[in-house]
Amino acid sequence: MTFKRFVNVVEILTLVVALGFVVALFANEPGGGSGGVAKSGPGYDVYLANCARCHGQGGQGGIGLRLAGVVTADFPDAQEEVAVVRDGRASMPSFRNSLSATEIQDVVAYTRTLK
Amino acid sequence: MTASTAGPVTRASVPLKLLAIVLAGAAVSIALGVYGHVHDPTGEKPYTLFFSDTINLKVWFATAALFLATIQVLLALRLYDKIHIPRAAPSWLGDAHRLTGIVTFGLTLPVAYQCLWALGFQSTDGRVLLHSLLGSFFFGAFTIKVLAVRTHGLPNWLLPVVGGTVFTTLVLIWTTSSVWFWREFGFPSF
Repeated sequence: MTFKRFVNVVEILTLVVALGFVVALFANEPGGGSGGVAKSGPGYDVYLANCARCHGQGGQGGIGLRLAGVVTADFPDAQEEVAVVRDGRASMPSFRNSLSATEIQDVVAYTRTLK
Repeated sequence: MTASTAGPVTRASVPLKLLAIVLAGAAVSIALGVYGHVHDPTGEKPYTLFFSDTINLKVWFATAALFLATIQVLLALRLYDKIHIPRAAPSWLGDAHRLTGIVTFGLTLPVAYQCLWALGFQSTDGRVLLHSLLGSFFFGAFTIKVLAVRTHGLPNWLLPVVGGTVFTTLVLIWTTSSVWFWREFGFPSF
């Protein structure tokens, strides 16, 4: 096999892989779930818009730590969790400038219902 | 006679070709940006391959992509006779340039997929917003480059400009992700 032919084969394979990734973007539904937790309300909306991308839609964890079922043990006092959301910690960004105090309270309350 | 009649047709078609290529690239960038914005980010780690964590995979793949892209730029400089190492350009230089570009693109795919599918288009701070914008822009610019390579009759300056833009964008993407990761969390393990 000549070098040019080898490059052509690699190019076709890469194109196929690229198409596979595009298909997967639309076909690969997220796993996990939030059990019987309410999927509406202000806390849920704030969570989906700001937290789910790292902590997972059901709080199962991912890029960020798991929240479902453990956040109340990690933060027995809800205000401690509020402080982390507001000020950030380690790789978690601060939401001081993007969420209001009420939204932070709502989303913290929501995360504490995740099972 | 033939040249005088063919000339105007060619000149007139060049802007149209350029417009079509740029529109195709813009469509890719916009489509990715829109997907990242409307898709509910999963926050999941779809794969780690032989790495200990997805984020480590992303940092190393992005770094490898940048390394290969740098080699590709050097090969392009040799193709355009801007550098003279090696003194005699080997016949396989063009294919090597293509191969490094293809592999670079391939390395960006799992990184971009995880970004889009698990994280989405974010604007929580300036770095993240810039990274999201650059990530969407990169694949549009890459599309323009690939189409420009395969379209005849385009201005000679187009490929170097688009290629330089793609490379610069990749450098900025890497800076706003891998370099940030190194500074925040240290050198990533495998």
